[in-house]
Amino acid sequence: MEKIISSIDLNAQIQWVIAIILSILVIATTTFWIWNKLKPSKLVNEMTLRTKSWWGMCFIFLFASTVNPIITYIGLAFLSFFTLREIYTLLKLRDADRSTLLVCYLSIPIQYYFAYQGWYTMFLIFIPVFMFIIIPFLLVLSGDTDDIIRSMCILPTSLMLGVFGISHLALLISFPAMNEGDISGKALLLFLIFITEANDIMQFVFGKIFGRNKILPKVSPNKTWEGFIGGVISTTIIGCFMGFLIPSLALWQLILISFCIAVLGFMGDAIISAVKRDFGVKDMGDSIPGHGGFLDRIDSLSTTSSPFFHLIYFMVIV
Amino acid sequence: MKKLILIIIYTIFWRNFLKIIIGLKYYNQQVLRKKKQFILIANHNSHMDTMAIMSSMPSKYIHRVHPVAAEDFFGGSRFKKILMRYMVNATLIPRKRANSDEDIDPIEVMSNLLKKGRSIIIYPEGSRGVPGVMTDFKKGIGYLVKQNPTVDVIPVYLDGLHKTLPKGKNLILPYNCRIIFGDSINFDSFDLEDIIIDAEKAIHKVKSLVE
Repeated sequence: MEKIISSIDLNAQIQWVIAIILSILVIATTTFWIWNKLKPSKLVNEMTLRTKSWWGMCFIFLFASTVNPIITYIGLAFLSFFTLREIYTLLKLRDADRSTLLVCYLSIPIQYYFAYQGWYTMFLIFIPVFMFIIIPFLLVLSGDTDDIIRSMCILPTSLMLGVFGISHLALLISFPAMNEGDISGKALLLFLIFITEANDIMQFVFGKIFGRNKILPKVSPNKTWEGFIGGVISTTIIGCFMGFLIPSLALWQLILISFCIAVLGFMGDAIISAVKRDFGVKDMGDSIPGHGGFLDRIDSLSTTSSPFFHLIYFMVIV
Repeated sequence: MKKLILIIIYTIFWRNFLKIIIGLKYYNQQVLRKKKQFILIANHNSHMDTMAIMSSMPSKYIHRVHPVAAEDFFGGSRFKKILMRYMVNATLIPRKRANSDEDIDPIEVMSNLLKKGRSIIIYPEGSRGVPGVMTDFKKGIGYLVKQNPTVDVIPVYLDGLHKTLPKGKNLILPYNCRIIFGDSINFDSFDLEDIIIDAEKAIHKVKSLVE
């Protein structure tokens, strides 16, 4: 226990972010509490529930990301596992896919082991190259070719959605070049998650207040042009203010990165919305009260984390 | 000693394994806490059903709860019998009713257990059947309730467990699934047919509790 606590290493910037997150939560909680006293409505109830879940998620995340890197890897691996489980519960898979599913689950510890070791090349090619060859072949071995192309496409793609993107969060912490000089993996991780989630919230808020013109009328009725544009602009501004986490970036680089995160976050959200529409469900699960399942919360993270990693790689390291 | 084994297996191992790895969620589990003796009826699609129900039992009386299993399927060898007896706490019964005096009557075995103050878990469908489909109940539950009208009958609905371990497979895979407990059934009449209909209705009602 002493060893774990002594490894807590918080520099001034990270302490600032924690303070900002906690004050936002306190402000949101009191606002919704007062709002609920003055004018109770269904929306406020939902927002209160969501804020409550945000408290839980923030504490788990801050605990896992600041205490000990090992806990971070294990926590993120479990996040991937829960996400995959959610996808496979909703998918109607064939009986012949069962043994291949086990291999899909086993790829999680392998991918996170590569992240832990910081084996950059192996980490990058394991899922998009190896698993994309191994999974179809294992499906062939199981012998049932009816509807096999569906499983061949779905299973590797589910790994991209649930494991590949999220595991970049772990690579940020272990990648040697990301932990040199004045940049630290923890700060990058906090920046990415803060901006991605802020983008989610901002798009939601702008959509609720100004939303008129639907951007994807057939996929998600909640997404509007006003919400999208307002979200992208406000996220870019927030990104500039959070720039103190990555001091080696120039202003134009910060703007570019935040802009990309905002747009990519919207894409991830839209992709999962379409998937949910296809499944015919409103939420992917009921694990997080007010938010739905795990994939409902990390949909945007699964698309932002990998591009963010490479943007930082090209801007700071190369 | 038996109690300790059961607590280690179910309350510690299976409960955590089912919760964290398999993704089982327990709903309305508190109905078990106050009960002393009950007949627990559930729909049956997978061997995991018994694990899920046993893992939700309070450790206080887990050794007094007996899942009822078919002798022809689970009592094949001596080893299997011992395993069923000590690891699952199961009581083995023949599937057919007694034709002559020498045969053991399954209803009588269960009634005797109830008279000793034990609780039992039965699957009134009789077998695992088609995945995800609830078939009609066999008459056994009717006879049992008719002979023991004072014992509480708790309906339980198991949702999705057939995906984690389907019939005929031996690989357990994680899938989000649910176990939902209902309040004990109030039977209007103790006619054989009415009991069966009421029991079926109760399970369907439990199913609609969480949706």
